[in-house]
Amino acid sequence: MATYSNQHWLLSHIRNSFISTDDTGMCETVMLSDDMPKHYLRKFGNSGAGGDHYHWRRSQKTAPTGGGTTPERNTRHPDAPLQEVDFICYPGLDLSDDEEDMSTHSFDIQMYPEVGAHRFRSNTAQKLEKLDIAKRRAARIKSVNYQEEVQPPDSDDFFRRKELPPSKAQLSKKEPKANDDELSDEGVQSQLTEQLAKSPKQTQNRFIEFARFDGTSQVGMQTKRINVFLNMLPAPDRNYPLKICVVATAKIQEVIGYVCYKTSLQYPDVPLKSLQHYALYMTEDNDDMEDFPPLDNREPCSKFGFSQLTLAERRPLAPVTRVDYHSQLGSKSMTSVEDKTALAEAAVKALQNINLNGGTTDPGGAGGGGDSPFDNVKEYEKRLLNHNDMLEAPMHRTFRLNIIDKRFFKSDVTLGISGERIEIDQCKNAKFWPQKKPVSTPIDFVAHCEILERRHLKALLRIWLKSNSSSPSFSTGCTSAQINASVTTLNAGSGSAGIAHSPSSPGHSSGLFSSSNIRFKHYDFDTDTHTAEQIHNKLNCILEMRSSDLRREFLLQRDRKQEKRQLKL
Amino acid sequence: MGDQQQLILATGGYDHTIKVWQAHTGNCIKTMRFVETSQVNALDRTPDKTRLAACGYQCIRLYDLESNCTAPVINFDGVQKNVTRLGFQENGNWMFTAGEDHHVRIWDMIAAPPHCSRVFDCEAPVNAACLHPNQVEIAMGSQNGSVFLWDVKSERHERIVPEVDASIQDVAISPDGRYLAAANNKGNCYIWSLTSQDQKMSTLRPTKKILAHTRYILRCKFSPDSRLLLTTSGDGTVGIWKTDDFSKWRELSIENYWVWDAAFSADSKWLFTASSDGIARLWKLQTKSSIRDYTGHTKAITALSFKDEIVGK
Repeated sequence: MATYSNQHWLLSHIRNSFISTDDTGMCETVMLSDDMPKHYLRKFGNSGAGGDHYHWRRSQKTAPTGGGTTPERNTRHPDAPLQEVDFICYPGLDLSDDEEDMSTHSFDIQMYPEVGAHRFRSNTAQKLEKLDIAKRRAARIKSVNYQEEVQPPDSDDFFRRKELPPSKAQLSKKEPKANDDELSDEGVQSQLTEQLAKSPKQTQNRFIEFARFDGTSQVGMQTKRINVFLNMLPAPDRNYPLKICVVATAKIQEVIGYVCYKTSLQYPDVPLKSLQHYALYMTEDNDDMEDFPPLDNREPCSKFGFSQLTLAERRPLAPVTRVDYHSQLGSKSMTSVEDKTALAEAAVKALQNINLNGGTTDPGGAGGGGDSPFDNVKEYEKRLLNHNDMLEAPMHRTFRLNIIDKRFFKSDVTLGISGERIEIDQCKNAKFWPQKKPVSTPIDFVAHCEILERRHLKALLRIWLKSNSSSPSFSTGCTSAQINASVTTLNAGSGSAGIAHSPSSPGHSSGLFSSSNIRFKHYDFDTDTHTAEQIHNKLNCILEMRSSDLRREFLLQRDRKQEKRQLKL
Repeated sequence: MGDQQQLILATGGYDHTIKVWQAHTGNCIKTMRFVETSQVNALDRTPDKTRLAACGYQCIRLYDLESNCTAPVINFDGVQKNVTRLGFQENGNWMFTAGEDHHVRIWDMIAAPPHCSRVFDCEAPVNAACLHPNQVEIAMGSQNGSVFLWDVKSERHERIVPEVDASIQDVAISPDGRYLAAANNKGNCYIWSLTSQDQKMSTLRPTKKILAHTRYILRCKFSPDSRLLLTTSGDGTVGIWKTDDFSKWRELSIENYWVWDAAFSADSKWLFTASSDGIARLWKLQTKSSIRDYTGHTKAITALSFKDEIVGK
């Protein structure tokens, strides 16, 4: 029992148990970075006196118990508050902090492949049941003894010679022979020919190659039964899962193929897309999909312990989880006339602004350097006509992406963008990071949004905001701001955060910033290209329509700086 | 009767399962467990098409095709060694089985339970057996190279050894009763002409030797119109020969896989093949193209059965 009162052991145990029984594969993404027992050990166990502290306690405790091997015995009063010194390292657990050997983390865990954490029934019980089933089955099966003695048939008629009609081949020989490659058609038609003629080629199932993963009646092979909800079905059918049984070695990709195969048989009217469009998602008892990513296509389905899954169209990589249109500006706006007119007005206002200011200060973002204001207006008109973007831009929409903290750490956030504000909220299910306060910034403080880097699938997105801080320090003009941290606290990171991409790296910015007295900070996000593109378009659309001074200021500053830099070069 | 029933193809193989397919679409209708210790050596349907008989290592089983039950309805106990072939008399009155226990047995299927009414001893493991369309003679091929013709009514028999040191793998008699074919493990196929007079046993006259394949022949079969003979082989091909002169008419190829079994449609225009890639195929003979795949077996398919009907001219 000594072990059960050791916090370190308990924490480790909970952690290891969770990892070892988690059949979703999600623990890897969530837990591996956060080793709480280790974390506490570092914080409490080895704090102050460090290692000595631990040794000291051990010698203290072991002496009175007569040299017993229970140094971890904790004699603390149960109600006493947790003190730092109480977090005692359990010997052998996590001690090998620096060592490569990770085996000390987990106990010798043996998983039974079929029944999760449950123990198999005893052999006798199983055998008895098998015998019972066999007996019941045998009652229905007629049995014949192969080796029995021969009983000649009673009647002479049992074997009756049949007279064969004169053969057709002999008859047809008299007929003129058809050409060599074509056997003459005697006009007979079989049932098969008839049925094949009735069923044109497309009845051959596209997914038939996956039929071989059928697990029903497989002998000597592990199989897996899964209830799969089909997201693409119409409403009533969607609530009833398709019950499938697949070979356990089938990869998820192949399971998807098999589900498509079964679906096409069961619901021939439902059009199916090709395999790449679908993914299997985790599901609760109802058919609601969870917000987790889909199961990895390359993994065998035996790896996952789910009995229920949902087949749905694959969501984009860093998925837009919910598109909820807020009622004030949201879905209504597309239907109600007032809102439409309001948006149109905003757009017209934006046009007028450009018209007025175009000559003196070019917004830069839209037209580019030398366009006349007239051209600018034209271009805007075109865009208004061509895109719904403008109308949709002010509607509230949320995106799910990673914010890059302190240049290095990433955490999952929800970015909400509407015509009034942007909001950054820590994701709820990221339990293992300390929660940060959500940030809400009025749209008036947002200056610009740009895509810094586009790689194959990922993109680095930057949103520029007006910094609240009025600190005159020039060098902090541009920082990678933490969500709830003030600009100044993050000085250290700013220098290299801006790197080459940053339009206003500190060195060049002094004169400019002092003159305008507006300073900018930015948030960096990491997301997939598609989402980045969406955010970029949406936000800049809003900003352009508002044509705020702040944005002009920002772009102006940036242009000047670039000029300066070019001059220097 | 045939019109109401759907046309099915039955396949069995090394994965110890028997699958029943909708012939014209390639969809699997049902899967039955065979015996956990045995592959399926041969399949045949009762003439009324309601039951499917399968044989394998130490087992012979009959399944009901009309019920949803996947358990057998008749099981033979005490079977020794491999049972290599089985087949039914045209009225379903009796069934023959051939086995590596050297015996070919005739089973009275009218009696309840079925009992054995004739036995023939081939003195060597029997690899193949087939019924003459006259319904009283059975041709058999044994591992020591003998070909037998046995009259079950009179219990007389005749024996021929076409090639020494070769094992007969399959025998076939054309539906018009004119030819007997026997194929061996050297890739050779021997043809005899059969003639019969006055209710007496047929006499055999050697007619032709076809050097059909370079490797093992696994099956030979005549088409329902008796104008074609097929040979399937371990060299991955199916040879189709015209019975006029036994010249090659077509060759179908499933490269790198053994073709274990094949069956013609009733109008001899289509051919099903079973091969070791676990896929059964339907071929249009005219174009030599495969038009349907029957996928679902996880291992080689070693036997198939297809019963078609002529629906009219």
